[in-house]
Amino acid sequence: MKKDTGKYLPLIPVFAVYLVLFLVGKNMSGMWQLMAMLLFYCALGQAFNIFLGMTGYVDFGYVAFMGVGTYGMALSIVHLAQYEGLGAWVIVIGLVMAILFSTALSLCVGAVALRLRGAYFAIATIGVNEGFRFLIEGARIWNGSEGMIFMAELNRILGRDGASALATFWADVMVLVIAALAATVTLVYMRSKIGYALTALREDEDAAKVMGINVTKFKIVAFVTSASFAGLVGATSWALKTPYVFPPEVFEIHYTIEAIIIVLLGGAGTLLGPVAGGLIYGLSKYYLSIFLPGFQLLIFAPIIICIIVLFPEGVVGMFKKRFRDSALGRYIV
Amino acid sequence: MVFEQLAGNLIQGLVLGAVYGMATMGLSLIFGVLKVVNVGHGAFIMVGAFVTLALFDGLGLSPLLAIPAAFGVGLALGLFFYYTAIQRLIKAPELATLLATFSIGILLEEVIKLVFGSEFRGYNWEVGKIDLGITVLPMSKLYACIGSVVIAVLLYLWFNRTRAGSAMRSVVEDSEGARVCGVNVGAAYAWSFALGIGLTVASGVLLTMFIPVGINPYMGGAYTLKAFVIAVLGGLASPYGAFFGGLVFGLIENGSYTLFALLPGVEPFALTRFLSFMILLVILLIRPTGLLRGK
Repeated sequence: MKKDTGKYLPLIPVFAVYLVLFLVGKNMSGMWQLMAMLLFYCALGQAFNIFLGMTGYVDFGYVAFMGVGTYGMALSIVHLAQYEGLGAWVIVIGLVMAILFSTALSLCVGAVALRLRGAYFAIATIGVNEGFRFLIEGARIWNGSEGMIFMAELNRILGRDGASALATFWADVMVLVIAALAATVTLVYMRSKIGYALTALREDEDAAKVMGINVTKFKIVAFVTSASFAGLVGATSWALKTPYVFPPEVFEIHYTIEAIIIVLLGGAGTLLGPVAGGLIYGLSKYYLSIFLPGFQLLIFAPIIICIIVLFPEGVVGMFKKRFRDSALGRYIV
Repeated sequence: MVFEQLAGNLIQGLVLGAVYGMATMGLSLIFGVLKVVNVGHGAFIMVGAFVTLALFDGLGLSPLLAIPAAFGVGLALGLFFYYTAIQRLIKAPELATLLATFSIGILLEEVIKLVFGSEFRGYNWEVGKIDLGITVLPMSKLYACIGSVVIAVLLYLWFNRTRAGSAMRSVVEDSEGARVCGVNVGAAYAWSFALGIGLTVASGVLLTMFIPVGINPYMGGAYTLKAFVIAVLGGLASPYGAFFGGLVFGLIENGSYTLFALLPGVEPFALTRFLSFMILLVILLIRPTGLLRGK
């Protein structure tokens, strides 16, 4: 019994960080926006880490899953706002649609890409966000390149005050819940057969195969999980906060770049890594945008190159090594 | 009428395709020798475009003279990034070089943005045009096409007629064997990377002749995707395969544009971009070694 509860102790520091962020944002005036941004980056990192961290495969088209999640929410709001009886359930349906869309797209992409190894996988994913964006624009699906604006629909569903409370507060709370869920799922995976199988495949895919591990199955599980969390992040942090979607913006590769930076900074494949990376990246981005606007990537690109060359295990990875044998080590995973 | 238009566009596609092919040779060369996928490929093309702009606007030099200048800039950048980052990562898991080249691409974009700003900038190199009856071809595009073919031939001769070229080919075949035979494998890696980047930056000069809207620091992303489609068409590890892949891709791109334009209610330009992504997926699925090569 004791052993079982001990398995999930590492969630304590993660949840503690999220709680502190929430409380600081709620109780200190003017801090909510910054805290919400940090929570967003933590959630993005946690979601991305489930795939990149656990498999060692890098998905350069990750933002496509956020994009279709955003579309899932937007379409629900646009098409269901006319049914008065649904009320706030429209948002719930939107979240479900976001998961469905991102899961469906990730199954399609994964079915092709996950058969490929290493470099070929990266090449296959590099065009996913562009490919999907141009499909929407080219075939004029979902209003094509004109996008959708749904401020009026949101106001009709929730009332003007309700919609603005959703955009400025409740959407961020949802992101917090998603971040916490993603962290929990990460640890559950790590502590189960999935995690061990993925570790084996990350270290040596051929050996894992020879040992009888169905590597493709576990890769797909990690890929789809990671993608559906991305869909949720897109639905909440984009569609509910800025009530419009345009293909060039929701499929902007920028978020993939940020997710990579966060996970690498913190330490790929660790539970705490995305939290540490999200905090470091979010805080530096915030203060850089005040003191040196427009220079974030110029500063972060060389930092990331240095991390890859010099400290590939990231901040948390280094701590993990140092505290491995101490009492603290149990919490750093 | 449609066939005339199609034929005209296919000629344009062939001209563009030669340049596409040359723009992908560097990617294939680097993958062939080092087994490194340069995810920042498009950013190096963008650097070449800005070298052209700087020489044209600043010194009034013809874009043709910018080719050797861009090649030199590329060699220098290649050696710099090889010795600072890539060299230490060759033995690491693939993830490391993928993320490193990706970050190098972002770094280049941001540095160019810092120097030139992020607006679209263009220049006009007027050297007349020739009328082929079914289509009008600007001479600047024709020069770019001829330049690409010349560079591809030079590369072929260099690989097959010089000692350094043979050394590189031997490393592709078997790096251990090459080492045993006295080839300096480390140097071969460094110079292959530098040569690949040099070719890529030089191709940026040629590609700018096809960009009517002007260039900006973030233009490279689209070319990265196209280059991967082309490289995969040609077998990823072979620079010549890439060249022919480019010709095929140029034809597909322009041909499909003409056909998509016949469909009502679609945006043909966006659909050609989607089509190129689908081609990539399908080839990777059925034949990752490339369509143009035997197994």
